[in-house]
Amino acid sequence: MRRISGLGVYTLLLFLFLFSPVFVVVLFSFNKTAGLTFPFHGFSLRWYRAVFSSPVYRDAIVASLRVAVITVVVVVVVGTLAGIGVTRYAFRGSTAVRALLLFPAALPGLFIGIALLSFFVQTKVTLSLWTVTLGHLVYVLPYFFLVVAARLQRFDYLLEEQARDLGAGPWTTFRRVTLPLIAPSLIAGALVVFSLSWDEVFITFFTIGAQNTLPLVIYSTVKQSVDPSVNAVSTLLLAGSLLFIFSVRRLVVDLQQ
Amino acid sequence: MVAPAVLVIGGALVVPALNLIVQSFLVSTGYGGVAYHFTFSNYIDAVRDPTYQTVAWHSFGLGAAAALICVVAAYPAAYFISFKLHARWRNLALFLVVISLFTSYLVRLYAWYTILGSNGIVNTALIHLGIVDHPLLFLIFSRWAVLIAFVNVFLPFSVLMLTSAMQNIRPELLENARDLGAAPARTFSRVVLPLTMAAAVGAFVYTFILTSGDYITPALLGGTSSTSLANIVSDEFVALGNRPGGAAISCVMLLVFVIVYVVLSRLERWKGI
Repeated sequence: MRRISGLGVYTLLLFLFLFSPVFVVVLFSFNKTAGLTFPFHGFSLRWYRAVFSSPVYRDAIVASLRVAVITVVVVVVVGTLAGIGVTRYAFRGSTAVRALLLFPAALPGLFIGIALLSFFVQTKVTLSLWTVTLGHLVYVLPYFFLVVAARLQRFDYLLEEQARDLGAGPWTTFRRVTLPLIAPSLIAGALVVFSLSWDEVFITFFTIGAQNTLPLVIYSTVKQSVDPSVNAVSTLLLAGSLLFIFSVRRLVVDLQQ
Repeated sequence: MVAPAVLVIGGALVVPALNLIVQSFLVSTGYGGVAYHFTFSNYIDAVRDPTYQTVAWHSFGLGAAAALICVVAAYPAAYFISFKLHARWRNLALFLVVISLFTSYLVRLYAWYTILGSNGIVNTALIHLGIVDHPLLFLIFSRWAVLIAFVNVFLPFSVLMLTSAMQNIRPELLENARDLGAAPARTFSRVVLPLTMAAAVGAFVYTFILTSGDYITPALLGGTSSTSLANIVSDEFVALGNRPGGAAISCVMLLVFVIVYVVLSRLERWKGI
């Protein structure tokens, strides 16, 4: 019995180690005073007001949202098409396509970022939020593809055939039969993609132009000065990166099949 | 139907990656310029430079240490979650692990910055309690700070990998071992460890790659004492405009990652048989 509780205490401490640093940031984002010291002086929203009244942070939030939303939209369309293509039609080279689409997940972010940067410099593409978006697309596509392909693997294609037999065209079949059935997984995948893009800092670092995303503003602020509103803006970043939570159940179902 | 996806990965990753490899064999002509002559000298420079060598040992060493600590520290927790918890609690624990995995990487680094910094929680507490007079500056801007942050950021991944490997072990196996008189330690080393070795190697390699190739953590928490390889690559590209040089270093790094992966997974398979 003693051994079991020892392991339990250890696991509890491990969870404390994982969560307490972040908890501190969230707690102090509501702090009344500027200091990062206990005792805590009481709750206030002044740092959040500071964030939303600062044009730098506001622009960064908008930029991050823009990148994440465009990434999500493109990845959902492109990734779903690829998922259907790979799982439904056993064409020559479908294994190779699958490997290619999962390949970026095996590459360190540094390599993706550097490869893109040097390519953009060489082809004289001006760095902007668009180059960042392209980097994010490459980075998140494997994860979305994995989720969608897992769902489509256990899709009952007889349903589609029946729809066709009843006289529905290919588009109607897709819209009325296939899409509603896979929609929960698409939403789950989209939330994961949003979380990944929203928090991405490594590839962004190399592909960013004049306009900064939220993680990069936080990064450069922390490097330069001590600013208590970073706690608040970090909490916002955290909230965005945890959006995927709403989809966890669906993801577990899909990926366990 | 797969054409758009193939186009995205092909155009925005495969082509730039090949381009990077080609560049690593070209001659740099000063700021940002490149001459199209084949040369191997970028690689020779990258491997011979004593500064780079020091930084490389440092980066890879720190990465290996972080990866090892993550895997070793994850084992007891994964064991407890897999075999000692009821299904409901197990799911809750796994849910928490996934949450911490997705918890913003940057926010976690920043958290350590606020905890270990000169005005951070640890230092103000120490001063408040009268243990020290001045903030301990070695807490932050050191290898230790980088190592702590690495473990904090990457530990959930190891826990997740090992737990999912352990979930595939049938509980009867553990009972059989116990019935045959094996002590818990022996059951672990003879049953659990071999069956989870592949996952452990996977978690180690993943953590090693991401930590030794990291740029942000050393830059935020490492201070001047710990330049990272990624830092050097970025300097070659951005500050010095020596693209072939930076490309060669990143190709060497990639090669090291591939070698580590191949050697470890071979070793695991060979030992597993």
